[in-house]
Amino acid sequence: MEIRKQKTEKGVLVSVSGRLDAVTSPDFDKEMEGCIAGGETVLVVDLQGLEYISSAGLRSILAVTKKLKARNGKIVLASLQSMVKEVFEISGFSKILPIFSSKEEALSQL
Amino acid sequence: MKSRRGIAFRIAAPVLASVTVIFLFIFGYNYFDARRIVVREVEESARNLAAATVNRMDVVLGKVEKVPRNLAVFLEASPPEDERALLKILRAVVEGNGDIYGAAVAFEPGLFGPGPSGYAPYFYKSRDTIRYADLADESYRYVSQDWYQIPRELECPVWTEPYFDEGAGNIVMSTFSVPFYLTVKGKRTFAGIVTADISLRWLQEIVASIRIEDTGYGFLISKNGTFVTHPLPRLVMNETIFTIAEARNDRTLRRIGRDMIHGKSGFVPFQSLLTGKSCWMVFAPLASSGWSLGVLFPRDELMADVAALNRSVLVLGIIGALLLFAVIVFLSRSITRPLRMLAGATAEISGGNLDNPLPPVASRDEVGDLARSFESMRLSLKRYIADLTETTAAKERIESELKIAHDIQMGILHKVFPPYPDRPEIDIYAVLDPAKEVGGDLFDFFFLDDDHLCFHVGDVSGKGVPASLFMAITKTLIKTKATRGLDAHKVLERVNEDLSVDNTSFLFVTLFLGILDVRTGRLQYSNGGHNRPYVLRASGALETLAGTDGIALGAVEDLSYESKTVVLERGDVLFLYTDGVTEAMNPAKELYTEARLETELAARKGHPLKEIVLALLERIRDFAGGEPQADDITMLTIQYNGAPESPRS
Repeated sequence: MEIRKQKTEKGVLVSVSGRLDAVTSPDFDKEMEGCIAGGETVLVVDLQGLEYISSAGLRSILAVTKKLKARNGKIVLASLQSMVKEVFEISGFSKILPIFSSKEEALSQL
Repeated sequence: MKSRRGIAFRIAAPVLASVTVIFLFIFGYNYFDARRIVVREVEESARNLAAATVNRMDVVLGKVEKVPRNLAVFLEASPPEDERALLKILRAVVEGNGDIYGAAVAFEPGLFGPGPSGYAPYFYKSRDTIRYADLADESYRYVSQDWYQIPRELECPVWTEPYFDEGAGNIVMSTFSVPFYLTVKGKRTFAGIVTADISLRWLQEIVASIRIEDTGYGFLISKNGTFVTHPLPRLVMNETIFTIAEARNDRTLRRIGRDMIHGKSGFVPFQSLLTGKSCWMVFAPLASSGWSLGVLFPRDELMADVAALNRSVLVLGIIGALLLFAVIVFLSRSITRPLRMLAGATAEISGGNLDNPLPPVASRDEVGDLARSFESMRLSLKRYIADLTETTAAKERIESELKIAHDIQMGILHKVFPPYPDRPEIDIYAVLDPAKEVGGDLFDFFFLDDDHLCFHVGDVSGKGVPASLFMAITKTLIKTKATRGLDAHKVLERVNEDLSVDNTSFLFVTLFLGILDVRTGRLQYSNGGHNRPYVLRASGALETLAGTDGIALGAVEDLSYESKTVVLERGDVLFLYTDGVTEAMNPAKELYTEARLETELAARKGHPLKEIVLALLERIRDFAGGEPQADDITMLTIQYNGAPESPRS
């Protein structure tokens, strides 16, 4: 898994690629903790390069969502690939998280 | 194989080798220099000895020479009146000179005396008396003798070659002949020869008295090279130095002989005729007679002192080297003693015994540093091993606890199939295979009343202990919340309510819950974010149950769920699973996928449930190959057999 962070006017653009599973989710958690601790409240997570997400990965996303919510922040997801998209749909998370087809669209909707 | 050599040896060997080389060099220099000095001194003393001896002999010979010289002068100055006067003088000469054996005055024939054949009166000593003889004898013919002819021709005094005189008692004699002249008719004319005979015994005694060390000796040769004296009697008067040189084909000896008879002196290497030993020889001429004295100095005997000195030096050197060796060995052993102690102690450490402290090394050198390093290494190792032991114990404890947790988790799941042998309406078979000791998958089934079977399959996010605890909570909650008459979605809503309140771990569970009316086959179900189950129809068709748009439980509070209904026909099989099945991975990181699952399921229409589940499990494992199982695998199958024909009793 690889995480790249980029600050934009509207929030931090986080690009996640590779696999987000039980092995890599602690790293993801730590990165997101860092963002939130740094005072960021708006995260745009670009999952263009994410090949696989397990339930542990979903839990990490859920955790960020809840933490941001407690701070009146927001998380939006963008560019979900087929498998990842399916996982979000099956688990119902696509209904509780804002999901956009591209990061540009996500940023414009903020 | 190279033999093991200690440090002591490695220090001692080169030092000793160097010392030995230096010592041998000094020894060699000393030896050759001592020899050189000895040779120089030998030559000097040899020359002195030869000169002194020659001088001694020349003094005697000179004294003897004076007698005929004086007599010749006297005869020339006042020729004798008659024979009587001459004889008187001659007799007085022999009587008055102890060194002289005999003396003669031999006149040129016809010049003086009774007869024409010559006159040669001769007095000689025989025992204690003086005897007279006239040498003018037909048989003797004195004028042709060497002692007469040579001085006459040379016109100067001459010592004759030594000769052996039998008449005089077998002694070696030599004669000094002096010519004298008279004036006849105003002309100086050769008148005759005055002679004096001397015994050479005294000369032999002088030479014989020369003793150099044990075998050194002197010898005397005449002008012809004849041995006058020599320790080998057979040489005396029989051999010359040249005949010996000839016999031995010794050119050096011949050259030496030539130098000797030519009146030269020298100091040369020489081989003893007596012993064959290597010698030095000094030779010097007798000024009077032209004879030559040779003295031999045996080389080895003169060098004996040097050799003895060398032996002493050698012995001292060897003793010194041994002492040095002992000192080096002692020193290096004292240096390496702590090393050897360390080696022993570290061997113990390498054997695993870390409790024995290393022997204390007081030295403040490198060995001391090494010992201290070893000691701190031992302590570190000991600490490390203690830590490791503790960690291992903790790990073992955790593992044992996990094992127990596994047993507990498996214990709360159904294990006995078929679970309801008295309910012919349904067959059930399920399997849960956790990826770790404990997992987050769950399944359960139970009758809410006589006709309604409640069942569910769930998957808690993540794995391991947290997931297993969450799984246990979920399972218990469902068992409590699912009550008779409650719709499926209501059960989910209530469970979600409890799970999501204060869910600080953010864990959630996807859950499919169904309630089957076994009399009618009507199935009411609600799906909270779980994989959609399949229905394998008795006809062979494979259907996916429509979703109910539910969200995983525990994620968000106050959620509403929906229920849907489907009717199962006789022989239909409901197949529920978790994503451990479809997301099983092979070494190429490919997923098993729904597509494969569907193919396998469709191919197993009409098979017994257990067979279907176990075959699928095997297929999934085959697919994974050696890749470790990433997620818990759960499969729950329920076959609806329809209501019994006759009412139950």
